[in-house]
Amino acid sequence: MQHHQDDIEIINRLSKKDKEALYLLYDKYSGALYGVILRMCRNQVLAEDLLQETFIKIWQKIDSYDASKGRFYTWAYRIAKNLTLNSLRKPDLLIQTEELGVDIKKEDLQPEMDFSELNGAIGKLEPHHQEAISLVYFRGYTHREAYEEMGVPLGTFKSYIRQALQLLRESYKHELIIIWLLLETF
Amino acid sequence: MMDRKKILEEGLLEKYLLDELSAEESQQISIAIANNEDLKKKFELLEKDFEKMALENVIEPPTEIKMRLIEQLENSKVKTMPKTWLYTAASLALLFLLSSFWMFNRWKKAETNFESLQNQTTVLQERLNALEENYLLTNQRLKTINGPQTIPLILHGNDLVPNSRAVAYVNHENKMVVVNAQGLPELPNNSTYQMWSDVDGEMIDMGLLPTDEELITLKYIDKAESLNITIEPAGGNDHPTVEKLIAYVTL
Repeated sequence: MQHHQDDIEIINRLSKKDKEALYLLYDKYSGALYGVILRMCRNQVLAEDLLQETFIKIWQKIDSYDASKGRFYTWAYRIAKNLTLNSLRKPDLLIQTEELGVDIKKEDLQPEMDFSELNGAIGKLEPHHQEAISLVYFRGYTHREAYEEMGVPLGTFKSYIRQALQLLRESYKHELIIIWLLLETF
Repeated sequence: MMDRKKILEEGLLEKYLLDELSAEESQQISIAIANNEDLKKKFELLEKDFEKMALENVIEPPTEIKMRLIEQLENSKVKTMPKTWLYTAASLALLFLLSSFWMFNRWKKAETNFESLQNQTTVLQERLNALEENYLLTNQRLKTINGPQTIPLILHGNDLVPNSRAVAYVNHENKMVVVNAQGLPELPNNSTYQMWSDVDGEMIDMGLLPTDEELITLKYIDKAESLNITIEPAGGNDHPTVEKLIAYVTL
Protein backbone atom coordinates (compact mmCIF):
# COMPACT_ATOMS: atom_id res chain seq x y z
CA MET A 1 0.00 0.00 0.00
CA GLN A 2 3.00 2.29 0.59
CA HIS A 3 3.55 2.05 -3.13
CA HIS A 4 0.12 3.45 -3.78
CA GLN A 5 0.55 6.36 -1.33
CA ASP A 6 3.75 7.51 -3.04
CA ASP A 7 1.89 7.57 -6.34
CA ILE A 8 -0.88 9.71 -4.86
CA GLU A 9 1.61 12.34 -3.75
CA ILE A 10 3.26 12.40 -7.19
CA ILE A 11 -0.14 12.56 -8.87
CA ASN A 12 -1.11 15.56 -6.73
CA ARG A 13 2.00 17.30 -8.04
CA LEU A 14 1.10 16.25 -11.56
CA SER A 15 -2.38 17.80 -11.16
CA LYS A 16 -0.59 21.07 -10.40
CA LYS A 17 1.19 20.70 -13.76
CA ASP A 18 4.53 19.72 -12.23
CA LYS A 19 6.45 18.20 -15.16
CA GLU A 20 8.98 16.58 -12.83
CA ALA A 21 6.14 14.48 -11.39
CA LEU A 22 5.38 13.17 -14.88
CA TYR A 23 9.04 12.28 -15.40
CA LEU A 24 9.01 10.38 -12.07
CA LEU A 25 5.96 8.41 -13.17
CA TYR A 26 7.67 7.80 -16.50
CA ASP A 27 10.73 6.36 -14.76
CA LYS A 28 8.52 4.10 -12.70
CA TYR A 29 5.98 2.85 -15.26
CA SER A 30 7.33 3.41 -18.79
CA GLY A 31 8.93 -0.07 -18.88
CA ALA A 32 5.73 -1.85 -17.86
CA LEU A 33 3.62 0.19 -20.29
CA TYR A 34 6.14 -0.21 -23.11
CA GLY A 35 6.08 -3.98 -22.44
CA VAL A 36 2.32 -3.96 -22.94
CA ILE A 37 2.35 -1.63 -25.99
CA LEU A 38 5.16 -3.41 -27.80
CA ARG A 39 3.62 -6.87 -27.23
CA MET A 40 0.32 -5.50 -28.48
CA CYS A 41 1.45 -3.73 -31.67
CA ARG A 42 4.67 -5.68 -32.38
CA ASN A 43 6.24 -2.69 -34.11
CA GLN A 44 9.04 -0.92 -32.32
CA VAL A 45 8.75 2.46 -34.08
CA LEU A 46 5.00 2.57 -33.53
CA ALA A 47 5.37 1.39 -29.93
CA GLU A 48 7.82 4.21 -29.17
CA ASP A 49 5.41 6.81 -30.55
CA LEU A 50 2.52 5.26 -28.62
CA LEU A 51 4.48 5.29 -25.37
CA GLN A 52 5.24 8.99 -25.83
CA GLU A 53 1.61 9.64 -26.71
CA THR A 54 0.46 7.72 -23.62
CA PHE A 55 2.46 9.98 -21.31
CA ILE A 56 1.26 13.11 -23.11
CA LYS A 57 -2.29 11.90 -22.55
CA ILE A 58 -1.52 11.20 -18.87
CA TRP A 59 -0.20 14.78 -18.63
CA GLN A 60 -3.31 16.22 -20.29
CA LYS A 61 -5.97 14.01 -18.64
CA ILE A 62 -4.60 13.65 -15.08
CA ASP A 63 -7.58 15.58 -13.71
CA SER A 64 -9.90 12.80 -14.85
CA TYR A 65 -7.98 10.20 -12.78
CA ASP A 66 -9.85 9.29 -9.59
CA ALA A 67 -7.58 7.57 -7.05
CA SER A 68 -10.57 6.24 -5.12
CA LYS A 69 -11.60 4.16 -8.14
CA GLY A 70 -8.34 2.39 -8.71
CA ARG A 71 -4.58 2.43 -8.98
CA PHE A 72 -2.74 4.89 -11.19
CA TYR A 73 -1.10 2.10 -13.13
CA THR A 74 -4.48 0.54 -14.01
CA TRP A 75 -5.62 3.92 -15.37
CA ALA A 76 -2.40 4.40 -17.34
CA TYR A 77 -2.62 0.83 -18.68
CA ARG A 78 -6.10 1.52 -20.06
CA ILE A 79 -4.86 4.69 -21.80
CA ALA A 80 -1.93 2.83 -23.37
CA LYS A 81 -4.13 -0.08 -24.43
CA ASN A 82 -6.80 2.13 -26.02
CA LEU A 83 -4.25 4.29 -27.87
CA THR A 84 -2.57 1.16 -29.20
CA LEU A 85 -5.78 -0.56 -30.31
CA ASN A 86 -7.00 2.67 -31.95
CA SER A 87 -3.75 3.10 -33.86
CA LEU A 88 -3.96 -0.54 -35.05
CA ARG A 89 -7.50 0.05 -36.33
CA LYS A 90 -6.48 3.13 -38.31
CA PRO A 91 -6.38 2.53 -42.06
CA ASP A 92 -3.35 4.83 -42.52
CA LEU A 93 -1.15 2.45 -40.61
CA LEU A 94 2.31 2.16 -42.11
CA ILE A 95 2.11 -1.59 -42.29
CA GLN A 96 -0.15 -2.64 -45.14
CA THR A 97 -2.26 -5.71 -44.61
CA GLU A 98 -5.27 -6.93 -46.52
CA GLU A 99 -7.52 -6.97 -43.53
CA LEU A 100 -7.48 -3.71 -41.67
CA GLY A 101 -9.28 -4.68 -38.56
CA VAL A 102 -8.44 -5.70 -35.06
CA ASP A 103 -7.18 -8.83 -36.81
CA ILE A 104 -4.00 -6.97 -37.64
CA LYS A 105 -2.60 -7.74 -34.23
CA LYS A 106 -2.83 -11.43 -34.98
CA GLU A 107 -0.27 -10.99 -37.74
CA ASP A 108 3.23 -11.49 -36.56
CA LEU A 109 4.55 -8.19 -37.84
CA GLN A 110 8.07 -8.56 -36.53
CA PRO A 111 8.75 -12.27 -36.43
CA GLU A 112 12.38 -11.76 -35.53
CA MET A 113 11.27 -10.30 -32.20
CA ASP A 114 9.67 -12.77 -29.85
CA PHE A 115 7.55 -11.12 -27.23
CA SER A 116 5.53 -14.20 -26.45
CA GLU A 117 7.86 -15.30 -23.69
CA LEU A 118 6.74 -13.95 -20.36
CA ASN A 119 8.80 -13.55 -17.22
CA GLY A 120 8.07 -13.76 -13.54
CA ALA A 121 5.18 -15.60 -12.01
CA ILE A 122 3.18 -15.84 -15.23
CA GLY A 123 6.15 -17.40 -17.02
CA LYS A 124 5.97 -20.33 -14.61
CA LEU A 125 2.31 -21.09 -15.35
CA GLU A 126 1.17 -23.83 -17.71
CA PRO A 127 1.06 -22.76 -21.38
CA HIS A 128 -2.75 -22.53 -21.66
CA HIS A 129 -2.96 -20.37 -18.52
CA GLN A 130 -0.12 -18.20 -19.79
CA GLU A 131 -1.73 -17.77 -23.18
CA ALA A 132 -5.16 -16.86 -21.78
CA ILE A 133 -3.73 -14.11 -19.58
CA SER A 134 -1.31 -12.97 -22.28
CA LEU A 135 -4.07 -12.59 -24.86
CA VAL A 136 -6.33 -10.41 -22.74
CA TYR A 137 -3.65 -8.46 -20.91
CA PHE A 138 -0.65 -8.16 -23.21
CA ARG A 139 -2.26 -8.60 -26.62
CA GLY A 140 -5.39 -6.48 -26.20
CA TYR A 141 -7.88 -9.17 -27.12
CA THR A 142 -11.36 -9.11 -25.68
CA HIS A 143 -12.52 -12.27 -23.92
CA ARG A 144 -14.64 -13.09 -26.99
CA GLU A 145 -11.75 -12.69 -29.44
CA ALA A 146 -9.39 -14.56 -27.12
CA TYR A 147 -11.40 -17.77 -26.71
CA GLU A 148 -11.87 -17.95 -30.49
CA GLU A 149 -8.14 -17.46 -30.91
CA MET A 150 -7.44 -20.29 -28.47
CA GLY A 151 -10.12 -22.45 -30.04
CA VAL A 152 -11.80 -23.37 -26.76
CA PRO A 153 -15.38 -22.71 -25.55
CA LEU A 154 -16.01 -19.42 -23.73
CA GLY A 155 -16.71 -21.22 -20.44
CA THR A 156 -13.39 -23.05 -20.62
CA PHE A 157 -11.58 -19.83 -21.45
CA LYS A 158 -13.17 -18.08 -18.47
CA SER A 159 -12.02 -20.84 -16.13
CA TYR A 160 -8.51 -20.64 -17.61
CA ILE A 161 -8.45 -16.95 -16.70
CA ARG A 162 -9.83 -17.57 -13.25
CA GLN A 163 -7.37 -20.39 -12.53
CA ALA A 164 -4.45 -18.40 -13.90
CA LEU A 165 -5.30 -15.42 -11.73
CA GLN A 166 -5.64 -17.69 -8.72
CA LEU A 167 -2.21 -19.19 -9.38
CA LEU A 168 -0.66 -15.76 -9.77
CA ARG A 169 -2.30 -14.71 -6.54
CA GLU A 170 -0.83 -17.65 -4.67
CA SER A 171 2.56 -17.19 -6.23
CA TYR A 172 2.71 -13.55 -5.14
CA LYS A 173 1.40 -14.51 -1.69
CA HIS A 174 4.27 -16.99 -1.30
CA GLU A 175 6.73 -14.36 -2.33
CA LEU A 176 5.38 -12.11 0.39
CA ILE A 177 5.73 -14.88 2.93
CA ILE A 178 9.32 -15.50 1.86
CA ILE A 179 10.13 -11.82 2.10
CA TRP A 180 8.41 -11.72 5.49
CA LEU A 181 10.38 -14.73 6.67
CA LEU A 182 13.60 -13.15 5.42
CA LEU A 183 12.80 -9.91 7.26
CA GLU A 184 11.98 -11.88 10.42
CA THR A 185 15.19 -13.89 10.20
CA PHE A 186 17.45 -10.85 10.10
CA MET B 1 -27.08 -2.39 -8.64
CA MET B 2 -25.19 -5.30 -10.10
CA ASP B 3 -25.14 -8.52 -8.12
CA ARG B 4 -21.83 -9.41 -6.44
CA LYS B 5 -22.15 -13.08 -7.33
CA LYS B 6 -22.82 -12.30 -10.98
CA ILE B 7 -19.84 -9.94 -11.11
CA LEU B 8 -17.49 -12.60 -9.77
CA GLU B 9 -18.89 -15.45 -11.89
CA GLU B 10 -18.87 -13.47 -15.12
CA GLY B 11 -15.33 -12.25 -14.49
CA LEU B 12 -16.58 -8.69 -14.76
CA LEU B 13 -13.88 -7.32 -12.42
CA GLU B 14 -11.24 -8.51 -14.88
CA LYS B 15 -13.15 -7.11 -17.83
CA TYR B 16 -13.64 -3.85 -15.96
CA LEU B 17 -9.91 -3.63 -15.24
CA LEU B 18 -9.07 -4.46 -18.86
CA ASP B 19 -11.53 -1.77 -20.06
CA GLU B 20 -13.54 -4.29 -22.09
CA LEU B 21 -16.97 -3.17 -20.83
CA SER B 22 -19.35 -0.61 -22.26
CA ALA B 23 -19.48 2.78 -20.53
CA GLU B 24 -22.77 1.85 -18.88
CA GLU B 25 -21.47 -1.49 -17.55
CA SER B 26 -18.28 0.16 -16.34
CA GLN B 27 -20.32 2.70 -14.45
CA GLN B 28 -22.34 -0.10 -12.76
CA ILE B 29 -19.22 -2.06 -11.75
CA SER B 30 -17.60 1.10 -10.44
CA ILE B 31 -20.62 1.77 -8.22
CA ALA B 32 -20.74 -1.88 -7.09
CA ILE B 33 -17.06 -1.76 -6.08
CA ALA B 34 -17.52 1.50 -4.21
CA ASN B 35 -20.44 0.03 -2.24
CA ASN B 36 -19.08 -3.43 -1.42
CA GLU B 37 -16.01 -3.89 0.73
CA ASP B 38 -15.42 -7.47 -0.45
CA LEU B 39 -15.61 -6.49 -4.13
CA LYS B 40 -13.36 -3.54 -3.40
CA LYS B 41 -10.73 -5.77 -1.80
CA LYS B 42 -10.94 -8.29 -4.62
CA PHE B 43 -10.55 -5.57 -7.22
CA GLU B 44 -7.57 -4.05 -5.37
CA LEU B 45 -5.87 -7.47 -5.28
CA LEU B 46 -6.57 -7.97 -8.97
CA GLU B 47 -5.06 -4.58 -9.76
CA LYS B 48 -1.98 -5.36 -7.68
CA ASP B 49 -1.52 -8.75 -9.33
CA PHE B 50 -1.83 -7.37 -12.84
CA GLU B 51 0.51 -4.50 -11.97
CA LYS B 52 3.03 -6.89 -10.49
CA MET B 53 2.81 -9.12 -13.55
CA ALA B 54 3.36 -6.09 -15.80
CA LEU B 55 6.38 -5.02 -13.74
CA GLU B 56 7.79 -8.53 -14.09
CA ASN B 57 7.50 -8.19 -17.86
CA VAL B 58 9.04 -4.80 -18.31
CA ILE B 59 10.64 -3.95 -21.66
CA GLU B 60 12.87 -0.92 -21.26
CA PRO B 61 12.08 1.69 -23.93
CA PRO B 62 15.01 3.49 -25.62
CA THR B 63 16.16 6.47 -23.51
CA GLU B 64 15.45 8.87 -26.38
CA ILE B 65 11.71 8.43 -25.79
CA LYS B 66 12.00 10.24 -22.47
CA MET B 67 14.04 12.95 -24.19
CA ARG B 68 11.33 13.27 -26.84
CA LEU B 69 8.65 13.48 -24.15
CA ILE B 70 10.56 16.18 -22.26
CA GLU B 71 11.15 18.10 -25.47
CA GLN B 72 7.49 17.88 -26.41
CA LEU B 73 6.38 19.13 -22.99
CA GLU B 74 8.94 21.93 -22.79
CA ASN B 75 8.15 23.16 -26.29
CA SER B 76 4.44 22.55 -25.97
CA LYS B 77 2.65 24.75 -28.49
CA VAL B 78 -0.33 25.12 -26.21
CA LYS B 79 1.89 26.72 -23.60
CA THR B 80 3.92 28.92 -25.91
CA MET B 81 1.00 30.20 -27.94
CA PRO B 82 -0.15 32.83 -25.42
CA LYS B 83 3.45 33.99 -25.01
CA THR B 84 3.81 34.32 -28.78
CA TRP B 85 0.60 36.28 -28.87
CA LEU B 86 1.78 38.50 -26.09
CA TYR B 87 5.04 39.19 -27.91
CA THR B 88 3.17 39.86 -31.13
CA ALA B 89 0.77 42.22 -29.41
CA ALA B 90 3.61 44.00 -27.62
CA SER B 91 5.55 44.33 -30.89
CA LEU B 92 2.52 45.72 -32.66
CA ALA B 93 1.87 48.16 -29.85
CA LEU B 94 5.49 49.29 -29.95
CA LEU B 95 5.36 49.60 -33.73
CA PHE B 96 2.17 51.62 -33.47
CA LEU B 97 3.73 53.85 -30.82
CA LEU B 98 6.86 54.43 -32.90
CA SER B 99 4.95 55.07 -36.09
CA SER B 100 2.59 57.44 -34.25
CA PHE B 101 5.57 59.31 -32.87
CA TRP B 102 7.15 59.44 -36.32
CA MET B 103 3.88 60.64 -37.89
CA PHE B 104 3.46 63.24 -35.17
CA ASN B 105 6.98 64.53 -35.82
CA ARG B 106 6.34 64.57 -39.56
CA TRP B 107 3.12 66.45 -38.99
CA LYS B 108 4.84 68.95 -36.68
CA LYS B 109 7.59 69.45 -39.25
CA ALA B 110 5.07 69.87 -42.04
CA GLU B 111 3.20 72.42 -39.95
CA THR B 112 6.42 74.36 -39.30
CA ASN B 113 7.31 74.18 -42.99
CA PHE B 114 3.87 75.42 -43.92
CA GLU B 115 4.12 78.32 -41.48
CA SER B 116 7.53 79.32 -42.76
CA LEU B 117 6.26 79.06 -46.34
CA GLN B 118 3.34 81.26 -45.42
CA ASN B 119 5.74 83.79 -43.88
CA GLN B 120 7.94 83.65 -46.96
CA THR B 121 4.94 84.20 -49.18
CA THR B 122 3.92 87.27 -47.14
CA VAL B 123 7.46 88.64 -47.34
CA LEU B 124 7.58 88.00 -51.07
CA GLN B 125 4.19 89.65 -51.52
CA GLU B 126 5.39 92.69 -49.61
CA ARG B 127 8.56 92.83 -51.67
CA LEU B 128 6.54 92.50 -54.84
CA ASN B 129 4.28 95.36 -53.77
CA ALA B 130 7.29 97.50 -52.92
CA LEU B 131 8.96 96.66 -56.24
CA GLU B 132 5.78 97.42 -58.13
CA GLU B 133 5.47 100.77 -56.38
CA ASN B 134 9.10 101.46 -57.01
CA TYR B 135 8.73 100.49 -60.65
CA LEU B 136 5.71 102.71 -61.15
CA LEU B 137 7.54 105.63 -59.53
CA THR B 138 10.68 105.03 -61.55
CA ASN B 139 8.66 104.67 -64.70
CA GLN B 140 6.83 107.88 -63.90
CA ARG B 141 10.09 109.71 -63.30
CA LEU B 142 11.62 108.28 -66.44
CA LYS B 143 8.65 109.55 -68.42
CA THR B 144 8.99 112.90 -66.67
CA ILE B 145 12.63 113.40 -67.48
CA ASN B 146 12.79 111.53 -70.74
CA GLY B 147 9.82 113.11 -72.56
CA PRO B 148 10.36 115.18 -75.72
CA GLN B 149 8.98 118.27 -73.95
CA THR B 150 11.47 117.99 -71.08
CA ILE B 151 14.52 120.25 -71.01
CA PRO B 152 17.45 119.03 -68.90
CA LEU B 153 19.43 121.88 -67.32
CA ILE B 154 22.77 121.57 -65.53
CA LEU B 155 23.53 123.88 -62.58
CA HIS B 156 27.33 124.04 -62.08
CA GLY B 157 28.51 124.82 -58.58
CA ASN B 158 30.61 128.05 -58.12
CA ASP B 159 33.65 128.56 -55.88
CA LEU B 160 31.62 127.86 -52.75
CA VAL B 161 31.01 124.30 -53.93
CA PRO B 162 33.60 123.64 -56.60
CA ASN B 163 33.30 120.69 -59.01
CA SER B 164 29.73 120.07 -58.07
CA ARG B 165 26.47 120.19 -59.96
CA ALA B 166 22.75 119.61 -59.86
CA VAL B 167 20.47 118.64 -62.77
CA ALA B 168 17.00 120.14 -63.27
CA TYR B 169 14.40 118.75 -65.68
CA VAL B 170 11.84 121.36 -66.71
CA ASN B 171 8.64 120.59 -68.62
CA HIS B 172 6.80 123.74 -69.58
CA GLU B 173 3.86 121.82 -71.06
CA ASN B 174 3.10 119.93 -67.83
CA LYS B 175 4.42 122.79 -65.68
CA MET B 176 6.71 120.52 -63.79
CA VAL B 177 10.25 120.78 -62.35
CA VAL B 178 12.22 117.77 -61.09
CA VAL B 179 15.76 118.17 -59.68
CA ASN B 180 18.54 115.72 -58.91
CA ALA B 181 20.74 117.31 -56.23
CA GLN B 182 22.96 114.33 -55.56
CA GLY B 183 25.86 115.96 -57.36
CA LEU B 184 26.08 118.65 -54.63
CA PRO B 185 28.27 118.19 -51.52
CA GLU B 186 26.47 117.14 -48.33
CA LEU B 187 25.67 119.92 -45.86
CA PRO B 188 25.82 119.95 -42.05
CA ASN B 189 22.47 119.23 -40.28
CA ASN B 190 21.82 122.92 -39.51
CA SER B 191 21.69 123.98 -43.21
CA THR B 192 20.02 122.97 -46.48
CA TYR B 193 19.99 123.74 -50.20
CA GLN B 194 16.99 125.74 -51.46
CA MET B 195 15.96 126.56 -55.06
CA TRP B 196 14.54 129.80 -56.30
CA SER B 197 12.97 131.14 -59.56
CA ASP B 198 13.88 134.63 -60.76
CA VAL B 199 10.76 136.37 -62.11
CA ASP B 200 11.30 140.02 -63.05
CA GLY B 201 14.16 140.35 -60.52
CA GLU B 202 12.17 138.75 -57.71
CA MET B 203 13.29 135.41 -56.21
CA ILE B 204 10.38 133.04 -55.64
CA ASP B 205 10.76 129.93 -53.44
CA MET B 206 10.53 126.59 -55.29
CA GLY B 207 11.34 124.24 -52.38
CA LEU B 208 14.15 122.57 -50.48
CA LEU B 209 16.76 120.27 -52.08
CA PRO B 210 17.84 117.39 -49.87
CA THR B 211 20.96 115.70 -51.24
CA ASP B 212 19.95 112.17 -50.27
CA GLU B 213 17.06 111.91 -52.76
CA GLU B 214 17.44 111.02 -56.39
CA LEU B 215 14.71 113.19 -57.84
CA ILE B 216 12.93 116.00 -56.03
CA THR B 217 9.76 117.48 -57.49
CA LEU B 218 9.63 121.25 -56.96
CA LYS B 219 7.10 124.02 -57.61
CA TYR B 220 6.91 125.13 -61.23
CA ILE B 221 6.91 128.91 -61.43
CA ASP B 222 5.51 130.65 -64.54
CA LYS B 223 7.72 133.08 -66.45
CA ALA B 224 10.86 132.17 -64.52
CA GLU B 225 14.01 133.52 -66.15
CA SER B 226 16.57 131.54 -64.18
CA LEU B 227 16.87 128.82 -61.55
CA ASN B 228 19.09 129.47 -58.50
CA ILE B 229 20.37 127.37 -55.62
CA THR B 230 21.37 128.89 -52.24
CA ILE B 231 22.50 127.50 -48.90
CA GLU B 232 19.95 128.33 -46.20
CA PRO B 233 19.44 127.45 -42.52
CA ALA B 234 17.73 124.08 -41.93
CA GLY B 235 14.00 124.23 -42.75
CA GLY B 236 14.49 126.83 -45.47
CA ASN B 237 14.22 130.58 -45.71
CA ASP B 238 11.58 133.14 -46.91
CA HIS B 239 14.18 135.11 -48.85
CA PRO B 240 17.34 133.84 -50.42
CA THR B 241 20.71 134.57 -48.80
CA VAL B 242 22.40 135.98 -51.92
CA GLU B 243 25.94 135.60 -50.46
CA LYS B 244 25.36 131.88 -50.31
CA LEU B 245 24.29 131.40 -53.96
CA ILE B 246 26.15 128.38 -55.19
CA ALA B 247 24.72 127.72 -58.69
CA TYR B 248 22.32 129.07 -61.27
CA VAL B 249 21.14 128.54 -64.86
CA THR B 250 19.15 130.73 -67.16
CA LEU B 251 16.09 129.46 -68.94
